[in-house]
Amino acid sequence: MADISLRSVTKRFGETEAVSELNLHIANGEFVVLLGPTGAGKTTTLRLIAGLERPEQGSIVIAGRDVTKLEPAVRDVAFVFQQYSLYPHLTVYENLAFPLRSPTRKRSEAEIKARVAEIARLVRIDHKLENKSTRLSGGEMQRVAIGRALVRRPAIYLMDEPLSSLDAKLRADLRLELKRIQTELGSTLLYVTHDQIEAMTMADRIGILAEGQLVQIGTPREIYTQPANLHVAARLGQPAINLLPAGLLPDAAPAGTKTVGARTEHLTIEKVANGHADGTVDWIEHLGDQNHLHLTVGDRKLVTLTDPDTAFQKGDRVTVRFRAPLYFDGAGNRIGG
Amino acid sequence: MQDLPAGKPVVTDTHPSLLDRTMEAAARATPEPLANTVRGLSDRMVAWLFIAPTILLLLAINIFPLIWAIQLSFTNYRANRPNEVVKNIGLQNYERILTDTDTWIAMQTTAHFVFWTILLQTLIGFTLAYLIDRKFRGHAFWTTIILVPMMLSPAVVGNFWRFLYEPQIGLFTYIVSFFTGIATTDILMLSNVKLAPWSIIIVDTWMWTPYVMLICLAGLRSIPDYIYEAAEVDRASNWRQFWSITLPMALPFIMLAVLFRGIENFKMFDMVNLLTGGGPGSTTEVASITLKREAFEKWRTGFSSAFAIILFVAVFGLANIYVKVLNRVKSR
Repeated sequence: MADISLRSVTKRFGETEAVSELNLHIANGEFVVLLGPTGAGKTTTLRLIAGLERPEQGSIVIAGRDVTKLEPAVRDVAFVFQQYSLYPHLTVYENLAFPLRSPTRKRSEAEIKARVAEIARLVRIDHKLENKSTRLSGGEMQRVAIGRALVRRPAIYLMDEPLSSLDAKLRADLRLELKRIQTELGSTLLYVTHDQIEAMTMADRIGILAEGQLVQIGTPREIYTQPANLHVAARLGQPAINLLPAGLLPDAAPAGTKTVGARTEHLTIEKVANGHADGTVDWIEHLGDQNHLHLTVGDRKLVTLTDPDTAFQKGDRVTVRFRAPLYFDGAGNRIGG
Repeated sequence: MQDLPAGKPVVTDTHPSLLDRTMEAAARATPEPLANTVRGLSDRMVAWLFIAPTILLLLAINIFPLIWAIQLSFTNYRANRPNEVVKNIGLQNYERILTDTDTWIAMQTTAHFVFWTILLQTLIGFTLAYLIDRKFRGHAFWTTIILVPMMLSPAVVGNFWRFLYEPQIGLFTYIVSFFTGIATTDILMLSNVKLAPWSIIIVDTWMWTPYVMLICLAGLRSIPDYIYEAAEVDRASNWRQFWSITLPMALPFIMLAVLFRGIENFKMFDMVNLLTGGGPGSTTEVASITLKREAFEKWRTGFSSAFAIILFVAVFGLANIYVKVLNRVKSR
């Protein structure tokens, strides 16, 4: 285990800058999640740390050692790829044992066997050790892939959307599992995803990437409650934050406000019988444990959460008030601390 | 049938045969107006109509001669004496072939050729494919250059290698002589008993290694990059990557190349016939040369039919066993 530093790292593919001037420090034992849309440079960042790509500029330091120009093999990292990337002709056991059979550190067969058994139990694949890796379900394959990374004790674990191809139930299970394993082992982990729930639930810190740049990094709470700009605000929250032009609703917005961002907790919605109303209820989406309330306010659509046993009905006229929402200026940056 | 919704099979069958699948594909590809204008015909009938010419041709030039040859193999028929009474002599032809030392020697010569050509072609072909797969600058250009021999006609190749092997004027002999210091007149590639078999192995290897390379290259290209990346992060050396990833994953392709070359070389005829004609003596007399001599020089049609059937069964049997092994390797 060790700490990792990226110092103004830049990587270009032809004309496009996949990662530009990226500065990132990951402390020993920290679980950092990089969150961003496709093409934001998340995967490239991981590959740069692993040594599968070489940066044009900047340096990468693992445990105090500059590894910028070193081969992947000597960097002491473990990588979980988005595609399962198992060795298809080998059994589950051989896949898990593969990283242990490195010539740099000779281990006895008994030692390997014990370690593989331990990890197989951890990722719950111990009942299928003798199976061919191609004869597994998607979830099993990905657990083997994660296990193959965990079998070693590298400086850092790098995981590239390891759960994205799994079904929702398994994803939720493995999310908890992964966090538990990481806490147990005290490992340093850099995790890439576009799933905000994974980021919110597992991360010690979340880094928001956009177009190759680190827009903001902080604890999940900070990122959620104090987003640096519109982009960050839009990435978190379900349903997505409502971005409304200033002045649409009566509010004491600070000077320079161009856009008001309002999530469910920033809105007070009340039914009115007669008199003034701000908007109407378009329809109600029943999700089971909760409802999505769709409103029209002026020429804008709003979506918020509401109770499953809500009293609102389609066509209801409502008043809408802000409750300490987020204010953004013309450049999209949030106003205020 | 008004429309063919995609994904919905036209011919429903739990285990569709190749024919069924072909017909289904044909039915699917048939434009709707056509299917409608050919009224009174079911889709299956239309499909049959389309494949009928191919099937008739196959019957006429493959199946019928085969059946006829089987029938002839039980007789003493001679094609140069059409008026003689044809006697049915049962299994006598087969008996004579299987107990005859000459045919066994021919079979051994064939096996010898098949073994060495396949060994050399696989080794060189795979090595070339491995190098080309490094994707160095100009690798596409070199691939094309390497493939040239394969595109030539065997008759042309046989003829110009005869010139290359020529002791007086041959370029091959000249080069060998230049590097070894042996006089060109002593390098009798085609008439020396020891060298003649190798002269044919060299030409066949020169011509068909590209083919093996091409198949191996397809195999190597089918291995996804991320497998190598995973191995690299897992600290596997290049050597280990080769033995534990490259070779096992390309193996089915290599085996396929061996199968194709094996079947092809088992019946190797044109090159041998052009280069040595089976000589000197009978040192390069492979089975197909023996067959030609029996059939068209000695005119023992019945006898040679039996020999052809034996060869056919041998190749067919070996190929089938091999395909079974190949499938097992693939499904590992």
